[in-house]
Amino acid sequence: MNEETSAPEESGHVLFWLTCAGLATALWAIFLFVPTEKTEGAVQRIMYFHIPSAWLAFFAFFIVFVSSILFLWKKDREWDIYAQSSAEIGVVFCSLVLITGPIWAKPIWGAWWVWDARLTSTLILWLIYVAYLMLRGHVESGSARARYAAVVGIAGFLDIPLIHFSVLWWRTFHPKPKIISAEGLGTGMDTTMLVTLLLSLGAFTLLYFLLLGQRIEIEKTKDEIDHLKKERLYSH
Amino acid sequence: MDHLGFLFAANVFVWGGILLYIFTLKKRQQALRKDLELLKASLNKDSES
Repeated sequence: MNEETSAPEESGHVLFWLTCAGLATALWAIFLFVPTEKTEGAVQRIMYFHIPSAWLAFFAFFIVFVSSILFLWKKDREWDIYAQSSAEIGVVFCSLVLITGPIWAKPIWGAWWVWDARLTSTLILWLIYVAYLMLRGHVESGSARARYAAVVGIAGFLDIPLIHFSVLWWRTFHPKPKIISAEGLGTGMDTTMLVTLLLSLGAFTLLYFLLLGQRIEIEKTKDEIDHLKKERLYSH
Repeated sequence: MDHLGFLFAANVFVWGGILLYIFTLKKRQQALRKDLELLKASLNKDSES
């Protein structure tokens, strides 16, 4: 048995421990470092999970967008694997956004859900990428499936600028952007709150790369199995 | 005013969701590795016979 670890395995271990440290630091900041917000009380701490989950979902869908364009251009399966893996992670975190949002909204707005532009466009984004995953699950594997999925992956991303600007273009219940706003970077927030949010955003970004690595490995193992099955079929 | 129950519920969903997803990824990878090993073993057996 070879006890030595390969370079990707070693970088995977480093990323794992960095993510654990990042998440632990973020949790410490969320529950012990940042003071309780005056008007909303402790429930406002949901923001430190809600915004990073939204960031992670948008970033994941951005990777789907870029990988899908590169797949259509280069016709390389590797880009298709990146898009598929990232889409699944995006859907998981977009689901968390759609769950934590209503939990935060109920005590503050008095309603679990309102059909305003931000909430509705986020729900549409989630539905688009769920449809993307369903398409991949129902169409026979091959380049046609990858092509159809790439088109949906690219088109779906167009909803993200709409989500971002929805609170500026229309009157909504949802608050306006707090980190990137017209007044400048992080100007609408107390420094300790901004630091805590940035720590949480950093930790969730590390978590994204960790999950992406795991998900890509699954897809590559599936490809290897398919390849060996074909080899076996032709050898008989 | 603090609505601690809502904060607790949000945490349960976030961390529970993340852990559940990591768990399913691990299970899927384990099952696929097992399939791969079986397939490799059967291919080796075929080539020997």
